[in-house]
Amino acid sequence: MPGEPKRLDHPKIVLLIAFVFIIITLAVLGAVLYHLTFSHHGPAILVPFQKKMEEKKRSAILEDVKRQEEYEKHRHFHNVVEYPTLPGKELTVCFICHSDYPHSKNKKVRALLNMHTQFFVCETCHIQEKKGYEIVYKWYNPLEKEPKGPFFGTSYDPETGNLVPVKDQFSRIAPYFKSGDTLLSAIQHQESDLAQDYMRVRDQLTPVQRENVKKKFHVSTKPKGHECKVCHSKKGLLDFRKLGFAENRIVDLEQLNIAGMITKYEKFYIPNLFK
Amino acid sequence: MKLSKIFIKPSLYFLMLLMVLSFGFRAEAADKENCLMCHKYRQLGRIDEQGRKKNYNVNENIYANTVHRNVPCRDCHTYITRLPHDPVTEEVSCANECHIKPPFAKENFSHRKIINIYNKSVHAIKENDSPDLKLAKPYCKYCHLNPIYTRVSEKRISYEKTLARCFNCHEKKGVTQAYKHVTHRLAHKTSRSPQEIVQLCSKNCHEDVEKMKKFNVSKESVEAVETYNESIHGKAVALGSQQTADCISCHATSAIHDIYKKDNQKATINPANRAKICRQCHRKVNERFIQIDVHSSINNKKPILFFMNLGLRGALYSTIFGLMFLALIETIGRKRDGIKWQIKGGTTWRGKSKREPKN
Repeated sequence: MPGEPKRLDHPKIVLLIAFVFIIITLAVLGAVLYHLTFSHHGPAILVPFQKKMEEKKRSAILEDVKRQEEYEKHRHFHNVVEYPTLPGKELTVCFICHSDYPHSKNKKVRALLNMHTQFFVCETCHIQEKKGYEIVYKWYNPLEKEPKGPFFGTSYDPETGNLVPVKDQFSRIAPYFKSGDTLLSAIQHQESDLAQDYMRVRDQLTPVQRENVKKKFHVSTKPKGHECKVCHSKKGLLDFRKLGFAENRIVDLEQLNIAGMITKYEKFYIPNLFK
Repeated sequence: MKLSKIFIKPSLYFLMLLMVLSFGFRAEAADKENCLMCHKYRQLGRIDEQGRKKNYNVNENIYANTVHRNVPCRDCHTYITRLPHDPVTEEVSCANECHIKPPFAKENFSHRKIINIYNKSVHAIKENDSPDLKLAKPYCKYCHLNPIYTRVSEKRISYEKTLARCFNCHEKKGVTQAYKHVTHRLAHKTSRSPQEIVQLCSKNCHEDVEKMKKFNVSKESVEAVETYNESIHGKAVALGSQQTADCISCHATSAIHDIYKKDNQKATINPANRAKICRQCHRKVNERFIQIDVHSSINNKKPILFFMNLGLRGALYSTIFGLMFLALIETIGRKRDGIKWQIKGGTTWRGKSKREPKN
C-alpha cells in the first residue's frame, strides 16, 4: 500500500532463489535463440550466413588432405594408431622441409629407413664428423633434460613377447660431440638463430636463394646415412648396452636378419619360404 | 613448457589405451612368417609417388585384440610370395578362404557368405554402373576397420568376475578370446553404437547431396540424412541414445549387408515387411503405424505437417518473446514513473510512482 514502509529485510535465501531464476531464464533465452538461429531443429535463420563464412575459409587442398587421410585409414585397415606428436618448435630443423617419412629414393629400403625415425633423430645417421671431437650417442628428449626411460624398443615383455609399451613417446637416440668432459649437442634445433631467421624470411626468398640457404643447413650433415651393419652388428656404432637395451633385445638387434636380407636383396630372396 | 604438457597428456591416454589392449596376447599365432619383425614399428611407411602418406605399421598389441587376431598375415595378403617383398599393388580380397576352421564347421572360414549377400544389395558394385558410381559405392574396407573386441555391458556381472569363473576349468588365453568373440556381438545388431552407424552412412556419402543426386536415386534418398536428423529417431541418437533406431536398425536384417531399395520385395522397408522391422522396438504396430513417414521432410506439400510445425514454433517463440516484451514495457513504464530499478538492499524497485495519489 502506498505510504507503507518498503520491505528491506528479505532473507538471504531469497537472493539465492532470485539468482537461480535469473540463470534459468537466461539459459532458456539462450536455448530459444540458438533454436531460432543455428540449431537444425529450428528455422536456422542464421545458418546461410554461417555457411557463407565457412565457404570463404574453405581450402580445397586441406579438404583433399583430410579426405585422403580418411581413405588411408580404411585402406590400411589395421587400426592406425594416432601417436602423440611433438609440437612443431620442439622438432629438429630438418622437419622444416622434410616430413617424418624423409626417405623416398631407394625403393627397397625407404620404408625401413623411415621406420628408424622412431628411434633416432636425423643427425644420428647423417652426422658429419668434426675434427678433434668424438661422437657419443645418448637418449634425447626435447621435453626432458635428462630422459631416464624406459625407452621404447629397449626390452621385450616376457609374457607377451611384444616390445614393452612405454610412457616416454618422444625420446630418440641423438649424437653429441665430446671434447674432454663436455658434451655438445650435434642437433640443429629449430630454435637456433639460423632456423628462426630462415622461417621468418623464407617466403621472401627466390627459389634459388632458398636452395642456397638450405645448403647452409646441410653443412654438418652428409646425404648418405650409415649402412645397416654399421649399427646392426657386434661392436657396432651404437653401444646398445650403454643405451639401456635388454640383453635379449641386443642379441636381436645385433644379429638382425633383416640387415642381411636387405644387403643381399639384389640376388637373394627366399622364394620357397612360404611354400 | 605449458604447450609441451598439452602434448604429453594425449601420450598418457594413449599409453593407458595400450595398457588396456596389451592385457592379453601377442599376435604370434597369426605371424608365423614374422612379418611383425618390420611391421610392428610405427614409423614404417613412406610418402608415395602421388604424395600420399602411407603407413605400414600394424600395432601388435591392438592386432592381438581384434577379430582377425588368429588369421595368419598371408591368408589375406596372398600376393606376398617373397621376402623382402616388393611394393604392394594388389588389394586384399575378403572372400579369401583363411586357415581358420570355425567351431562346428567343416570348411575353412571365409567372408564369402556375407559378400554374396552384399553383392545382391543396393550397395553392390555392378558391371553396368558408371565409373563414378563404382567409385562411390562402399566396399568391405570402406565401412570396416579391423574390428577391435568390445566388452559386453557389465551391469549384471563384471567382465573379470565372469572370466575368473571360467579360468577354474578352462585355459586362460582360449577362453578369454572365446568370451570376447561371443560378447562382442551381443550388443544391438552390430557392435557399433547408433551414433557410429549414422556417422558411417552419412559422412562423405549419404549426406553429400550433390554426390547422391548424380546416382539416379529418389528425392527421399537424397534428403535421407537431413530428414533422419529431423526425425524423433535422429534427434534421440544425436542426444546420445543407445536404444533408438539408427540406419541399420530399419534398413537391414541381422545380416546387416542386405540393404535394398524400398520397392524391392526383399527390402526391410518394403511396405510388406515394414511391420516386422518396426516391431523390433514398438509393441503396438498396425497398418496405420507403418504408414508413419519416418524420413519426413517438412514442406508446404504436406500442409498438415507444415502448419502443425509452424504453429508449434509460433507458440514457442511467441510465449518466450511475448513474456520478454511484456517485462520490457513494464520496466520502461515504471522508469517513466520515476521508480528506479536496483538490486541493492533486498528489493529491486525504489521510489514512488508519480501517478500514485499523494496522501
